[in-house]
Amino acid sequence: MSDDDEMVGYKQQPGKLPFARPGSGGSEKFSELRDESRIPESQGGTLAQPQGANRHDSLITGAAIGRRTPMVDSRWKVMGQAKYGDDIRLPGELFGRILRSPHHYARIRSIDTSAAEALPGVVAVSTGSEAPACFGVLPVTKDEHAMAQEKVRHVGDLVACVAAEDELTALEALRLIEVDYEVLDAVHDMRDGLKDAEEPIHDRGKYHIGDSNVQKRVFQEFGDISGMRDSAVATHTSDWYFAGANHGFTEPHAVAAHWEPNGRLTLYTPQQVPHYVHRALADVLDIPMHQINVYRTAVGGGFGGKSDPFPHEMCAAILARKSGRPVRITFDRDEVFYVNRGRHPSRLGMVIHADSQGRLCGMETDALLDGGAFASFGHVTTYYNGVLHTAPYEIGGFHYTGTRVWTNKPASGAMRGHGAVNSRCAVEVGIDDVCEQLSVDPIDFRLANLLPPMSRTITGFRITSIGMRECLERVRRASDWDDRFRKLPLGHGLGIGCGFFISGSALPIHWEPNKFPHATVHLKVDMDGGVTVHTGAAEIGQGSDTVVALAVAEVLGLPLDMIRIRSRESDTSPVDLGSYSSRVTFMNCNAAISAAMEIRQELLDATSMITGAPTERLVIGDRRIFSKDDPAVGVSYLEALQKAQEDRGALASSGAYRTPPMGRTHKGAAAGLAPAYSFSAYVAEVKVDVETGQTSVLKVWAAHDCGKALNPLAVEGQMIGSIHMGMGQVLSEEMRYGRSGNLLNADLLDYKIPTVHEMPEVTPIIVESNDPEGPFGAKEAGEGPLLPILPAICNAVYDAIGIRIHELPLAPALVHREIEKRCKELGIDDPLDLPSPDLEHSPLHHVLRERADEHSVRDLERKLDGERDQYHNGALFGLDATIPADEQDDSWTAVVLPDEQYLESPRLAGSAWLHVERRHQGGDA
Amino acid sequence: MRMPPFELHLPESLDSAMTIAGELADEDCDFDWIAGGTDLLPNYKWHLNSKPHVISLAKVSELSTLEPTHIGAMVRLQALATSDSCHPLLRQTSGTIASVMIRRSGTVGGNICLDTRCFWFNQGEEWRRSIDWCIKCDCGTGADCRVISHQNELCVATYQADLAASLLALDATIHLASPDGSRSLPLAEFFQEDGITRNVLKDGEMVTHLTLPDDAEDWQGDYQKLRLRESWDFPEAGIAAAWKIDGDGNLDGLRVASTALESIPRLHQELADEAREGWAGVESVNSLAVAVQKAVKPVNNTWFPPSYRKKMVRVLTRRALAPLERVEAAN
Repeated sequence: MSDDDEMVGYKQQPGKLPFARPGSGGSEKFSELRDESRIPESQGGTLAQPQGANRHDSLITGAAIGRRTPMVDSRWKVMGQAKYGDDIRLPGELFGRILRSPHHYARIRSIDTSAAEALPGVVAVSTGSEAPACFGVLPVTKDEHAMAQEKVRHVGDLVACVAAEDELTALEALRLIEVDYEVLDAVHDMRDGLKDAEEPIHDRGKYHIGDSNVQKRVFQEFGDISGMRDSAVATHTSDWYFAGANHGFTEPHAVAAHWEPNGRLTLYTPQQVPHYVHRALADVLDIPMHQINVYRTAVGGGFGGKSDPFPHEMCAAILARKSGRPVRITFDRDEVFYVNRGRHPSRLGMVIHADSQGRLCGMETDALLDGGAFASFGHVTTYYNGVLHTAPYEIGGFHYTGTRVWTNKPASGAMRGHGAVNSRCAVEVGIDDVCEQLSVDPIDFRLANLLPPMSRTITGFRITSIGMRECLERVRRASDWDDRFRKLPLGHGLGIGCGFFISGSALPIHWEPNKFPHATVHLKVDMDGGVTVHTGAAEIGQGSDTVVALAVAEVLGLPLDMIRIRSRESDTSPVDLGSYSSRVTFMNCNAAISAAMEIRQELLDATSMITGAPTERLVIGDRRIFSKDDPAVGVSYLEALQKAQEDRGALASSGAYRTPPMGRTHKGAAAGLAPAYSFSAYVAEVKVDVETGQTSVLKVWAAHDCGKALNPLAVEGQMIGSIHMGMGQVLSEEMRYGRSGNLLNADLLDYKIPTVHEMPEVTPIIVESNDPEGPFGAKEAGEGPLLPILPAICNAVYDAIGIRIHELPLAPALVHREIEKRCKELGIDDPLDLPSPDLEHSPLHHVLRERADEHSVRDLERKLDGERDQYHNGALFGLDATIPADEQDDSWTAVVLPDEQYLESPRLAGSAWLHVERRHQGGDA
Repeated sequence: MRMPPFELHLPESLDSAMTIAGELADEDCDFDWIAGGTDLLPNYKWHLNSKPHVISLAKVSELSTLEPTHIGAMVRLQALATSDSCHPLLRQTSGTIASVMIRRSGTVGGNICLDTRCFWFNQGEEWRRSIDWCIKCDCGTGADCRVISHQNELCVATYQADLAASLLALDATIHLASPDGSRSLPLAEFFQEDGITRNVLKDGEMVTHLTLPDDAEDWQGDYQKLRLRESWDFPEAGIAAAWKIDGDGNLDGLRVASTALESIPRLHQELADEAREGWAGVESVNSLAVAVQKAVKPVNNTWFPPSYRKKMVRVLTRRALAPLERVEAAN
């Protein structure tokens, strides 16, 4: 603009400098040329798309996704500036401590807090009578309270809480609280939870199942149930025991509550699911939600263990209200174990049938889950233990009985790979065994039994993209499988395991799917050009801030330093359901893309106005918007933005995501439904010291199908971290309960998380199957990668020593005992003389190879064919692929209630169905 | 997690440490010595037998001497693990203790005087209240032992220090000081089979240093440690062996010691002597391994089950003695 230009509007003061000419923004001064190798073929670029085009292709600018990007909050963390739960400091704050039950199960006769209240320095003492409202993460199973009402249900259950000027005084006050308990008979063994009890741990009134401690039971029968047993030529049967595991995150729970001068409560807490805390606080405190601001601090690891609304969060708020001062509660590590919500201790019966064609003609699973004292996510866990192994294989029959019982232990809940981990391990080990019986290679077997893309599982889940085949093929090559499997010497083994997991639960926890989106993202773009993203997705270290920033940056063609994420406070963030079920990338990025598309359109329109080029011919490059036809015709991002902001100032937009309608209609059909699923295959190489029973993992080749790696660095990090975590559960981690029923290892010395010395060399392999509905084709990578490591190691241990062990962790003493037993059976003195398993291929091997080759062609054709027919599970068994099996063949059933015949000899968990719900018991209920 | 309050004393010489200890004794005040604190402080945080006074040896420089046959009590375990001048067996053994960070703090004296450990003892205060306490920290209740109940006499908490086995195998002498004077005794006589008293230290007495015999450098050895993880974990069983080979390449001396299997580390001298006399290579290795296995009685109070730990003693002993499989007895 020269000085002679005619000014519109008011007259400029003499000597006043005009605004600088808008540039491109970002910390790099000049925009880069568009990198055609990052632009997909479908848009005229050179990026190959073997899995076809994606609906988001036209939004790709090459600015952000697909690059190895350090987390946007990593500098705060490595420089010690991130504020975690216990880093919050508020003026005049008090220290809160919690009095916990010393008994497994007891009735509280009375609580006398007078001595504690009289102690100098004590400001407030509170007990359960002050907070009678119940809460719980799932609306159907609200069975928790801020503090015990009439009963305590496990050692460590909350009884009372104290706020004092300092921590020592608070601790001293706890000692002064006198509680009179009447000790009740406790349930420690999950099998006892199936029985009628004099005093069940909870009372669900007319919905209570008999007089037992059964919290939830599931029965499902799909497919050709009688046929699967008749046509089986190989059957694997096993009874597993899985010890409970804790998340073992670094940061213990810590919370600060502050009733601010305006009368509103701000709760600072490291939460994965702040929205449910928000709801629960409103219930417990009996105030409307708008009076509460939930502030999510930096989260020092969650893994599912920070996704329930917690009683201590309620306690902090109650104490703060009572004392009129901020109250902070930070857990000691043993308290973390008392609140737990870790992986359920489980007893799993697994039966796998294969027929003469090497097809998986049936799976029968019976899962008894030890839920501990509260329901938590258990309702869902009970379904997941069954329904999440109905893929990736096409199966002839699926029989599942699952039961979760209350016991007097710290509550189990959701933990990375929620509900799928243990049963997946049992399935994959079972398949390995069936292959052993059939004398075929387990990778060939799997390749010949996969569901194709765009198909339906036996229970009606909608499979979209599936990269399972590529995962298997790539780990096979990378691990030199064909030359080494079953050929290694004694004590040295190779094993395969696969995984399948939801990429975001389609059913929101609040169960109002038709009334509210899963995720909402707001964008604000002001004159500086920076984009502020308001999202409620909880950054828990998994990189949710980063991935949302990447999605916005990609669409707008901006460098990451122009995107700032505001995801902390419920006051400023639109409601998001939180970081659970691996939903953030899929749901939040989809919402973010929608929001960014609005801004993008406004920028294109503005550019069109400035340049005269038609909007549909414009593309966005690095901070520059220009015409496809003539790149010289274009403007910088900031110029376009200023134009778009004329007369209205900051741009704002909103995007939301909701899953499409899907699934069948039977009871429980929604459990396990997801808009997409992730797949993975790992090969593990182990060494077993046959004299000591000690197992070490040497190498892992890990292939995970995440649809599209928006940030390959983060995906690989998730895979390596998952391997570490899963390996802990296989080799060493367990919550061990002693003779007295007490948890023996509520500390990180004796809760044995593998150290860096135990960590194998990992080769992460990213497989991109291009999901049609995922953001730019992406799916989850946070939980699925954990699943395969357990069976891969178990199967490798079998390859090393020829013994199947159906118990986790594979503690040295356990492995040693099994080796001794086998030596005795074989009449061998020295375990070094044990035979190592080998493999001589049977004729079935060729059948499988041929079928795998055919399916490989079928799969790619289906993926790329937009006009494809329906494919329902059952086609492999000769049924019409286009119709659900049970609608065309009477021998294929879909049943969710046991019949009398089953109840004559139910399996362990299935025996829960012998109880009758009180409301169905007749007159006296 | 907060420690109970205590008064910290920071003497700068051994003499003044002794003076403070004497004064506290005169006033009838209980106290603990603290060196690296890696054992004591976690126990204090769990309110395990904490005392109102703590005397720190951090500034007592004369306890840090490290020479081939003289090891000061305040020598850091990491210094021992990386030292060129100390006996290779001690270097190897200390390199297996806990983790590098803990070894940088932890000391030789602290490791030797390590408190015994037990599932029923190494727990938080609320936890122990929920089992009505135990004999090792009964909080005035006269509680029974929770591992072997109805005996109410002996604490069977396990002594889990690695160094003890190797120092026993090298025939170390331990040197003690107290306000009443100093004394020295063979390390094997220092320990007591009682999870509470643990050793012969009297009130106010402390370890100043350990010495090895002058011929220590003629002895070779090996330490085998059973544990779940290659870092952090206390030994679930530890076997140290040391031997001397004469000029003809024959076995001239042999010692085997065990730790982490009972309340006391043991030197199995009689078994070793018996084996050495008619040493017959592999055969002797095997029979000595069986004999050591029979000589120890682990109880159920650590991570691995006692039956497994006991079985592993044979494997560990065999592995420790593996270099002697082709050696013959000296004439």
